[in-house]
Amino acid sequence: MSEIIEGFIQAVELIISLNPEVLEITARSLLISLAATLCASLISIPIGGFIHFRKFGGKRGLITIIQTLYALPTVIAGLFVFLLLSRVGPFGFLGLLFTPSGMIVGQTVLIIPLMVGMTLIALSGVKQSIQDEVVSLGATTTQTVMTIIREARFAILGGVILGFGRAISEVGAAMIIGGNIRGYTRVLTTAIALETSMGNIAFSIALGIILLGIAMVVTVALFLVQER
Amino acid sequence: MRLKLPVRPMTLKPRKVCVSITLSALIVVGALFCGCTTTAPSQGTPAPTQSIGKSKVLLATTTSLYDTGLLDYLEPMFEEKHHVDLLITSQGTGKAIEIAKRGDCDILAVHSPSQEEGFMAGGHGINRRCFAYNYFIIVGPADDPASIKDMKPEDAFTKLMTMGKAGTPGIAFVSRGDNSGTHYAEKSIWNSAGYNYTRDVQKSGNWYIEAGRGMGETLQLASEKQAYTLIDEGTYLAYKGNLGLFPIIEQGDILLNVYSVITVYTPTQPSDRITIANNFVNFLTSPEVQASIGEFGKEKYGKNLFIPMTGECSRFKCDCGKAADAQVPALLT
Amino acid sequence: MIELVHVDKRFGENDVLKDLTFRVEKGEIFTLIGPSGAGKTTILRLINLLDDPTTGMILIDGKDTRVSEGERVALRRMMSFVFQKPAALRGNVFQNVSLGLKFRGIPPGEIRQRVTEALGLVGLEDYEEREATTLSGGELQRVAIARALVSRPEILLLDEPTANLDPGSIERIENLISSLNTRFRTTIILSTHDMVQGQRLATRIAVILDRKIRQVGDSRQIFYQPGSREVARMVGVENIFDGTVTANEDGLASITIGSTTIFATCHYPAGTAVTAFIRPEELLLLGGDGMKSSARNTLRGIISRVTPVGPNIRIQVDAGISLVAIITRRSYDDLALSPGAPVHTSFKANAIHVMTRAP
Repeated sequence: MSEIIEGFIQAVELIISLNPEVLEITARSLLISLAATLCASLISIPIGGFIHFRKFGGKRGLITIIQTLYALPTVIAGLFVFLLLSRVGPFGFLGLLFTPSGMIVGQTVLIIPLMVGMTLIALSGVKQSIQDEVVSLGATTTQTVMTIIREARFAILGGVILGFGRAISEVGAAMIIGGNIRGYTRVLTTAIALETSMGNIAFSIALGIILLGIAMVVTVALFLVQER
Repeated sequence: MRLKLPVRPMTLKPRKVCVSITLSALIVVGALFCGCTTTAPSQGTPAPTQSIGKSKVLLATTTSLYDTGLLDYLEPMFEEKHHVDLLITSQGTGKAIEIAKRGDCDILAVHSPSQEEGFMAGGHGINRRCFAYNYFIIVGPADDPASIKDMKPEDAFTKLMTMGKAGTPGIAFVSRGDNSGTHYAEKSIWNSAGYNYTRDVQKSGNWYIEAGRGMGETLQLASEKQAYTLIDEGTYLAYKGNLGLFPIIEQGDILLNVYSVITVYTPTQPSDRITIANNFVNFLTSPEVQASIGEFGKEKYGKNLFIPMTGECSRFKCDCGKAADAQVPALLT
Repeated sequence: MIELVHVDKRFGENDVLKDLTFRVEKGEIFTLIGPSGAGKTTILRLINLLDDPTTGMILIDGKDTRVSEGERVALRRMMSFVFQKPAALRGNVFQNVSLGLKFRGIPPGEIRQRVTEALGLVGLEDYEEREATTLSGGELQRVAIARALVSRPEILLLDEPTANLDPGSIERIENLISSLNTRFRTTIILSTHDMVQGQRLATRIAVILDRKIRQVGDSRQIFYQPGSREVARMVGVENIFDGTVTANEDGLASITIGSTTIFATCHYPAGTAVTAFIRPEELLLLGGDGMKSSARNTLRGIISRVTPVGPNIRIQVDAGISLVAIITRRSYDDLALSPGAPVHTSFKANAIHVMTRAP
């Protein structure tokens, strides 16, 4: 117990004194996960729109697969992207393994299913009568899709925030793809794993508190968005 | 299923669907790369070790070496001398070697002679140099329930096995179980004690715990379970948490732990990267860095965590002084 | 302008419309009347190309509408549809009303001017900044009408446009509909369950009953010459009698209904099995001896039931046959009628619509 309290005190000190290493790791975590969320949004929202608006065989099955992948283990996503990005893998020529960009790819892959699923839920929350109204007002197919997506924007944004929450809090993919390189690919979660394994509990708790703080901001944002 | 859009199915020819799927896939991939490449350089807040324009070189190393902090200590010295950005990823030796075989790192620093030999024989590396050593130790609960204090490691293992299999309360051993260098060292002790590791040791009972984790976690696990474990001295001394484990056996030839550095070679590896890697090998074996290694940790832990190789190469039957200048494996020349 | 040819519509196993064929001419106000669930909304949705017929085809301006989605969008842009329950999109009233113009790529300046004008037409000048989702049903209905008008459609589809409105707004919207039709020759297709509204506005009326079009005609035809018993009931013809023509002298037929005989203008010869339809408004009630009437038919009876219907009184008279009359409350009071009182019921021979029936 004293270890936890001690760690807590040290954590507060590290945060208040704006410890450069803590700040740097936090900033990197935010940047990587925000970038991944952006990439995943650019991919997931159109895919969600495509699945929602088109009728095709196996649609129900596809949605079930997507929902199953909500629980995609982070290490599996990490391993999959690791194999793709490794020099001997199909995208090895890009040299993305053990780079922040590689981590962005990994987190993007990880959260795409969740965000596609959330987009689908958001779009099905828009009443059919609204879609009829839009089509009737003379919208082209593209205009209809865009208008419905705009209509569902708060629900979709909720999905985006959830995706970001999953991205910033995962450790498996970040560790496997990023390699936890100090000053380069070390993020909050991998740093916590490392410091804990080295017995450096105080530093871990400090980083954990920051991560929780980010999670809280995300949750509040989600709440505010859904209030609208 | 209700009709979603007034798109009449008859106008949607399968070919059209394929085209639109392909198009969206292209857009998706495009978005991915634009999104990612534009965000990548904006990895703002450059770390102290990072600056634009320097070439990056990636060292894959073992947790036991990394966790002591030795590499973080040497990193700025190397970067300043050669104006490169040294990136370090710490993995178990097994995984580090795997990454090196795939060509995903440029330098390898590990401590598992048999695995290193296999790696070299496969033509994956050049300029293997040993640069430091220390000893593994067997740690255990303060009261040493198996009474193996200062025994020969092989005899101690035999005694642990006998007592463990007999179900003696309080007797347990935690193994890394992750194909790391430490795990290999443990296996070689079992071998030397006359056991077949996979047949006689693994699954020999609840007393033998395979952690499958890094050194730090394994140490924590052993401490929680009040079990014995094998650990390199450096990691043990550098571990910052509270432990209920104490050195039980610190002597024995088989406990020798030699660290080597290797330039990773793949046929596609650019020669300038090989040169940078060779620079690092030469850096580690240079007299001044060897001296620094000998000093590392003295202030903090009261003794140095590693012993430099200088002058002792012949004792360990490895290269340590020769200049690392090969560009391709000897096998291929 | 719009033509439906043998259109069937099924949703899964359910027939919603069966073998619909009709034309709407340019500049007409065409009203669909029928009970709810008859398929009026589906017809409007088919015309707006929101749904597709299961079989049959729909022509707009003589062109088949089974074309690419792009061409269908172009066709849809000639029309506006005011749904029975209009949907409000997120955003304010201005954004809602301007949406169709944005889809059409109209420049912002013109959008602003046209939206202001359209909101003026429905009496919601000051509503531009209001959040659309917070409007009442009636306000939203008017916003939806503005949203429909702002694109200056050639064809205006209105599904029960005044169902949610107060009487003042109903009058305003009905006037608006008439004036659009006269000023811009906008073709208007309107569905309503309000017969009177249908009568007030329509150039022609189609009666939809039981998934089919039963009769198409002008309001006189529909209300006074219903084509079938069901249509007659639908349009409020409450006096429907089966009988037989017993004599016909120069178009004045005697029709025997049970033990009662009435005179009606029709050309069916003696012996024809017929049905006679008389609107309740055509019946005149007379106190006393009833000799003041010039009408051909005068039947003596007893008032069996009196029911107020808005400003009018519905009176059921037992006169051998059971007759229903609707008179104003003033006449009722003047005549000092009451249930059980004797009364004379009179109606003209030419107020009776006669049809043959299977004997």
